[in-house]
Amino acid sequence: MNTAFFIQTAASGVAIALLVALAAWAKIARPGSPLTDAYARALFAQEFPGRILDGVWIAGDGAGAVAKSGGLALVLCQVGDAYMARQLPWAQALAASFRDGRVRIDLADAGAPCATLVMPAWPPQGLEKVRGVRAA
Amino acid sequence: MSIAFEPVKLATPFFIATVILEIVLARAGKIRAHYETRDTAVSLGMGLGSQVAGVLTAGASFAAAVWVYQYRLFAIPMTAVWAWVALFLLEDMTYYWFHRISHERRFWWASHVNHHTSQHYNLSTALRQTWTGGLAGTWLLWLPLSFLGFPPAMVAIQKGLSLVYQYWIHTEAIRRMPAWFEAVFNTPSHHRVHHARNPRYLDRNYAGILIVWDRLFGTFQPELDEEACRYGIVRNLGGFNIFRVAFHEWIGIVQDILRQPRHTLGWLFGPPGWSPDGSRDTSARLKAQWAAANPAAAEASVPTPAAPQESRAGT
Repeated sequence: MNTAFFIQTAASGVAIALLVALAAWAKIARPGSPLTDAYARALFAQEFPGRILDGVWIAGDGAGAVAKSGGLALVLCQVGDAYMARQLPWAQALAASFRDGRVRIDLADAGAPCATLVMPAWPPQGLEKVRGVRAA
Repeated sequence: MSIAFEPVKLATPFFIATVILEIVLARAGKIRAHYETRDTAVSLGMGLGSQVAGVLTAGASFAAAVWVYQYRLFAIPMTAVWAWVALFLLEDMTYYWFHRISHERRFWWASHVNHHTSQHYNLSTALRQTWTGGLAGTWLLWLPLSFLGFPPAMVAIQKGLSLVYQYWIHTEAIRRMPAWFEAVFNTPSHHRVHHARNPRYLDRNYAGILIVWDRLFGTFQPELDEEACRYGIVRNLGGFNIFRVAFHEWIGIVQDILRQPRHTLGWLFGPPGWSPDGSRDTSARLKAQWAAANPAAAEASVPTPAAPQESRAGT
């Protein structure tokens, strides 16, 4: 590595900063709206085709959702102007920590270690009405 | 060790200018393109990091090519047109197999996956390049060209030209090229399919410059108007941490091996999504599930006689 390399790298860094600033100014991310029940169900159907949803809970800020599908928890979480999805055992999801109105679900995945969702309560409200769940 | 003519370095101003153009035209509503700020920052940062990582490993890989070249079978002149034509074809076929193995075996997927982690498809996505390609050793695949007798500098130039070609196809702004072009060359349409995570599109269109390799080896899938591409990987990342983008699959491999060391070979060289108990999804399984749920669509799909049984799923 020589001086030219460092100059070139520094110049590239400046160019990147300018391009990112331009992208921010342009505001051309995908148009999106907070998750609704119907929207979340459509995304769950896309991510987990064929799965029957016993119950769906939308995050208070519309930036994610949790669904129960048999013994599995299906999790949607907003990432920028898109979403990521994971599934995990329902019991594992129920064991998630809940603090200050946020549930933090451990996804045990190097690509997405956890999902943090704004929820009024955890375990989710109305769970006892969901098919396959016995009332406490 | 360096060569005088480096296509990627020379093309960098063109890369910058065209990203600006794509953003400005999209902002003006003239073309289709979406840029998410943090996604763009990661893509461009990965590109810069890739250049830095390349400097660290390029010397070793080039030295290996020079060493192999000492034992070359033929003396191929760098000045002959036929030699460049032959190299163009051979290098492009090498790229096809490099790219295919990079999707179908987890060890190499771990290095390549970062290129697919964006849920966007724009010119900045093209620059989201690997930091660990040198360590993954895929450069070994190009050594036979030097053994045949192509000078290492010539091979390096052709590799660079191929990378530069592949830049412009990362866009949604171009819908289709003329039919003759689509038949022979890799195009934005073909490569959108390659970046899509829809089950029917997984593990398709590995081409570098010539799409004919996919047609020849049974991995071609045209973009279908009735099924829009959804970009990214089967299990998209949970954020924009650039180090997670670069290393998450390597970390996943290490975690899996530590948990079940007796399956080390499977974790390393099985298809992405492979697991000993079958609890994860490979793309072969995802495609089969999709075909079972959509028999008519699957029937109508282009036949792929040599379709791979591996996957880039589960990542």
